[in-house]
Amino acid sequence: MLKTLIDAFALISTWEVVIAMFAASVYGLVIGSLPGLSATMATALLVPVTFYLSPIAAIATIVAASSMAIFSGDIPGALLRIPGTPASAAYADEAYAMTRKGQAELALGAGVWFSAVGGIAGVLSLMILAPPLAEIALSFSTFEYFWLALLGLMCATLVARSSPVKAIAGMFIGLLVSCIGIENPGGVPRFTFGITDLFGGIEPIPALVGVFAVAQVMRAMLTPEPPPLPRRKFGSIMAGQWSLTRKYHWQMTRGNIVGIIIGVLPGAGADMAAWVSYAMSKRFSKEPQKFGTGHVEGLVEAGASNNASIASGWVPSLLFGIPGDTIAAIAIGVLYMKGLNPGPTLFTEKASSMYAIYLMFIIANILMIPLGIAMIRVAAYILLAPRSTVMPIIMLCCAVGSFAIGNNMFGVVTVAAFGVIGYVMEANGYPVAAMVLGIVMGTMVEQAFVTSLIKSDGSILPFFERPVAAILAAMAIGALLWPVMVWVWRKVKPAQTAAATSR
Amino acid sequence: MRLPDSVTGSFLVALGAAAAYGGWILPPVPGQPVGPNVFPLVIGVGLALCGLAIVFGIGHSFEEEEELIPIEDGQAAAAPPPQNKLYSLRALLPPALLLFYVFAADRLGFIITAAVMVYVTSTALGAKWKLALPLAALSPFAIHLIFGKLLRVPLPAGLLPTPW
Repeated sequence: MLKTLIDAFALISTWEVVIAMFAASVYGLVIGSLPGLSATMATALLVPVTFYLSPIAAIATIVAASSMAIFSGDIPGALLRIPGTPASAAYADEAYAMTRKGQAELALGAGVWFSAVGGIAGVLSLMILAPPLAEIALSFSTFEYFWLALLGLMCATLVARSSPVKAIAGMFIGLLVSCIGIENPGGVPRFTFGITDLFGGIEPIPALVGVFAVAQVMRAMLTPEPPPLPRRKFGSIMAGQWSLTRKYHWQMTRGNIVGIIIGVLPGAGADMAAWVSYAMSKRFSKEPQKFGTGHVEGLVEAGASNNASIASGWVPSLLFGIPGDTIAAIAIGVLYMKGLNPGPTLFTEKASSMYAIYLMFIIANILMIPLGIAMIRVAAYILLAPRSTVMPIIMLCCAVGSFAIGNNMFGVVTVAAFGVIGYVMEANGYPVAAMVLGIVMGTMVEQAFVTSLIKSDGSILPFFERPVAAILAAMAIGALLWPVMVWVWRKVKPAQTAAATSR
Repeated sequence: MRLPDSVTGSFLVALGAAAAYGGWILPPVPGQPVGPNVFPLVIGVGLALCGLAIVFGIGHSFEEEEELIPIEDGQAAAAPPPQNKLYSLRALLPPALLLFYVFAADRLGFIITAAVMVYVTSTALGAKWKLALPLAALSPFAIHLIFGKLLRVPLPAGLLPTPW
């Protein structure tokens, strides 16, 4: 234990890691603060750069950039009422109302402080939850993996803020994309249509860059430019945060816990955590009438929640290769690339690397306080950059980055294609996160499914025979039937009330 | 680009059916009951069923309407975008430019292709030439410096090689 900890310190105390982390932090803060550029997009565009870094430095950049971007999305939310990232959308109105009351410092300070606290709570959950789960996961057979993967996919469709049918359809599209190529149980070219470039399958990373970055540029083409930030002088940003922590310690803890749970659920990330926590805060508040008028309570809870989900999203990613959110989906791609293949053995064989990840998360969240304060002070200047200068650079990074992944122009075609797919899906209410999950998990789901089918020799019983498999199966089927039950409930209830009133 | 649910649903039915058929005709692994054909078959059927459900509007009640943030005093009201067919086609500009990059980069070289991409994107987003032109002239070199020089991505030199 102590030795692995020392090893972990040795791993992260190289100049490469320190510089990578600092640079990625600044990058994450800037991208997160620009409206329309999300934390996922920031992470996806980082991937080509991580090719050229050592494994630990590569993970450091992702950890730092994603944590920072989630916080800095609060800045334009509070000052302009335009969330910088979707994760800040839940409480942008509230934060803006505080700014109009002259409490911008308090709102932004709460953003920094409770983000950092939430981030650290998320890491603690990762440290506490992951090793014992890894113990259990070591005894998993393909049946358990199959149900686990199915449960993960179903969770992603449940939490989508859209029609569950469309979410499931999105997931199927993702799984279908993962079918392309010759990496299948028979080793035959499948859905390649004679195109050699398709033999290797669709790489998840260019698909993600397309869905999250190109689609965003496409949307920018049709939406008006956000207004520039009014310049203002800030007072002390951290003043009053400690008394807020003491006053709202229960809300903060609840936000942390909700964030951790939502982070662990596959497919649900920081934005969902913030929405749920903000709603919860209002629901359980002693003064719910103050919500919406510039009341800090919801900010505390939601800010503590969305950052907590970032680290806990790594729990299923590291253990099973099932991404906890879209950022973790990208992280999984990088982990595979760097030879840190997700799986329970990661915690025994590469324990020092795991400790290094924990440490980097903690450092990133501590670093967030000074860097975040600096960012708030210079935000007015960064937000002066018009969209017409930022988006072209993003486009260039998409082209070059996707080319760099395989030194192959086909990557650029993939990015363009998935930009269109992501744009059309989003415009029609199909959640793209579900598709992304399908693409990332497809190969694993198929492998577990086909191997289980071969092992069971045509019988369905072995899928439910082992106790853990049976529990997971029940949960997965329950998740599948849940929308149906809600739908039936909604149909029955108005009928009942109608019957009651007519009587 | 908002299409009626019946259109997207029907498309999914067709896609699912095609996937299921495509899986069906794949050669099985000799001596094994399940091979590469099972998974596409399952997905195709599932996708087609989802498509059918969407056509019939099942699950539509779960969809949340997009909340429009009302414009407040002090915030300048943006001009409503012109509502013609051509305007919505602007969204296709970014993928078109990426395809342009694929076809042109090897012939024209990275710098020229990138400059065209930046200039077009920037202008399309409303930049004046005074901003777009210097941006198009400088940013390709900056990106080349980071990716080509620092990260050693083999970017095509083409007609205009970089000085380094």
